[in-house]
Amino acid sequence: MPLKRLFALTSVAFLGVLAISPAKNALRPYRKIQNRFRELGVARATSARQAREYAQKPVAIRQFWLPAFENRVDRCTTCHLGVADPLMKGAPQPLSLHPWTPHTPEAFERFGCTSCHSGQGLATTQSEAHATAPDAGPPMLPTEYVEAGCGRCHAAPTLPGAPMLSRGRTLMAQSGCFACHAVRGRETFRSPAPPLATLPVKTGAEWVRRWLKNPRAVDPNATMPNFQLAARDVDDLANYLFGLDVPESLARKIQAAGEEPPGDAASGKKLFAESRCISCHTVEGKGQGSAPELSKIASAASRGWLLAFLRDPHAFNPRTPMPQYHLADTESRDLVAYMEGEFRDFDAPKDILEPLHVNRTLAENGEKLFRRYGCFSCHAAPEGGRLTEKFGPDLDGIGDKRAASLDFGRRADLPRTLTSWLAAKIGSPRSFAKDLKMPSYGFGPEETRAVVTALLAMGAEPVPEAYRVVPAASPAPIPAAGAGRLIDRYRCLSCHQIGQQGGDISTALLTFEGSKVQRDWLVDYLVLSFTIRPTLTERMPILRMPRQEAAELADMIESLFVDPRIPDDPFAGRAATDADPVEGERLYVTLGCRGCHIVGSSGGYYGPPLNGSGTRLRPGWTFTWLKGPQRWRSDVRCPDYGLTDRDALRLTAYLSTLHEKRGAETTGSR
Amino acid sequence: MRRLGLAVLALIAGAGCARRTTTAPGAAGRRPAAAPSYELRLGRQVFQHYCQTCHGETGAGDGFNAFNLDPRPRDLSDPAFQKKKTDAELMDAVRRGGAGVGLSSMMPPWGRTLSQAEVDEVVRYVRSLRKH
Repeated sequence: MPLKRLFALTSVAFLGVLAISPAKNALRPYRKIQNRFRELGVARATSARQAREYAQKPVAIRQFWLPAFENRVDRCTTCHLGVADPLMKGAPQPLSLHPWTPHTPEAFERFGCTSCHSGQGLATTQSEAHATAPDAGPPMLPTEYVEAGCGRCHAAPTLPGAPMLSRGRTLMAQSGCFACHAVRGRETFRSPAPPLATLPVKTGAEWVRRWLKNPRAVDPNATMPNFQLAARDVDDLANYLFGLDVPESLARKIQAAGEEPPGDAASGKKLFAESRCISCHTVEGKGQGSAPELSKIASAASRGWLLAFLRDPHAFNPRTPMPQYHLADTESRDLVAYMEGEFRDFDAPKDILEPLHVNRTLAENGEKLFRRYGCFSCHAAPEGGRLTEKFGPDLDGIGDKRAASLDFGRRADLPRTLTSWLAAKIGSPRSFAKDLKMPSYGFGPEETRAVVTALLAMGAEPVPEAYRVVPAASPAPIPAAGAGRLIDRYRCLSCHQIGQQGGDISTALLTFEGSKVQRDWLVDYLVLSFTIRPTLTERMPILRMPRQEAAELADMIESLFVDPRIPDDPFAGRAATDADPVEGERLYVTLGCRGCHIVGSSGGYYGPPLNGSGTRLRPGWTFTWLKGPQRWRSDVRCPDYGLTDRDALRLTAYLSTLHEKRGAETTGSR
Repeated sequence: MRRLGLAVLALIAGAGCARRTTTAPGAAGRRPAAAPSYELRLGRQVFQHYCQTCHGETGAGDGFNAFNLDPRPRDLSDPAFQKKKTDAELMDAVRRGGAGVGLSSMMPPWGRTLSQAEVDEVVRYVRSLRKH
């Protein structure tokens, strides 16, 4: 009897066990979601046939399979059923239509979901797929950081569809992160921070102490972070720095310059304005701001140092973006006299420029600190030592780190996620443990988010070749000798771009400058660079270039920086009526060009004034520009009016009649 | 048996916790300091690049170039204006310019410069500039 009962019981149990599997399947959460989608589809359908199609959709797992992308399988669309369905616009999640992005809805099949959003593509429940638990695999990116996904494939420093990522990458380069941390693709990064060898004859102990304590309190443009040094450490480092050997040739120049007679401050003031120092520097916050603030410079550097530096900045720092102006010795004296009179810290103690009597013991401690904090990563090691490896840990793969593998140290308050760890690490690195070396950068909340986005974009492994978008790096065709040396001397590439190289302070690319402007105009312009765009803070400085050098440079530009798509004579072989300047002027008015450009004395301030464009521009350039400005610079604001050849020629003919006496132009714009 | 009961209780409590955590992302979206959405960031980028110099940072028609223009640029933040114009009308004005919709040619046509997607984005951003 008990045997029978036992048999009955085990049979029931066995049946129960058998039922688990189908029951589990029937209870899967996505079934409910798919049913909801069907109902919503039927409700929103615009025709009976469409409603039938929604009603007949089978309940099943849906997925993107990407054999070419690490064999990813993304089953996200099992729940997110409406991502590519325009009828699901504004539907409640998870059914909503995916917002437009450069890759969606066109390319879901190519990119799937996890390539941008991260997370666990194979999973079919929300908590597993989004991997919200701290010990799960890489979690989904919070949407505010979603642009990190763009950065996994796109290596360019800035990317039009990803404003946050672009900002983060720019901030990282500006802050010098790559000087201490190795990152793929940034191997050649060198910080433009100055070598420190001339410091003992440049400034005083008090200034160095203030700077070390908090660089940004001394100069708001400082890119050097705050190392949060204790007063004793500051003193040790100052002793070390003042004990450095100053290179003899520079020391002699600085001393000799210091003994020169004083210059004329009034003439220096005029020179200062002409030299357009604020195209890079600032004076009381006004200016571009990539170079030091100048309003207190005479309390930061000795007269001799300022003079010697102005005359040959590249001897002090070979990587400085500062051009070597062609100033006469009296002119540089005048400039420094002006700065000494005006650009002082009137609250500073009198002895701010007094040198330090070095204490050997403290200096030795300072040298240890200099190594301990990795100062040599940005400032070339003074004893000529070479960097063999980076000071900080590699950052490749930081975007793939598991939260469980991170050291949260004293920060028990943080949510255990990679994003919160990164944000806190950037915000206050020393809050994790006492002896960490990473300095503080003082980023605001938006900046922190941007940098975290850029960090999350750094995967352990590069994405497959087929998905990688790396901008082509073709070096600019600049000859090493001849006029090429002038490009280096005047640091044209600090502001202008030639090909893929150069800075972005100027909006004028030089890549096809030879096809754009007339040679004779260019020579005059280089000798006396008046302002083409008066609304800009960043204007071309008057470099005091001798006419002979200007001619040499203009000749090189005319022969090398040209584009075959720009014709010499756009009027060749066309009817004479097409080149009618009167018709062109009518077009100029009806199209609304004067909204942005000045001709005569009226018009907008946004584009460059067009007075004198007949002397400045080559007609071939004007014509091809009008036919599609974005062909020459993709982000240019001048709209493409879709002009016919005929209209573009007429406008070109009109603009070519605009000549202006140079004298009037230069006095008007200075 | 008691222990089993406790385990069952613990399981139920656990399930309760799990359910609560799944509602967390929605709550996080309402944080006041949250970044603008990706779509608005794209629209803002287009607006700042092409429109802001005349229409101003807040869309009030007071950009630095506004004062050279006659008529002055439209105040895009004006609630009455926002209410009057449909998205389609705004997109049309962006694409064909003032002259294209019977207004001043000082507003250029952007249809060949901006992609359809960029026009969508910038109109969405202009909607967010509405003064309340």
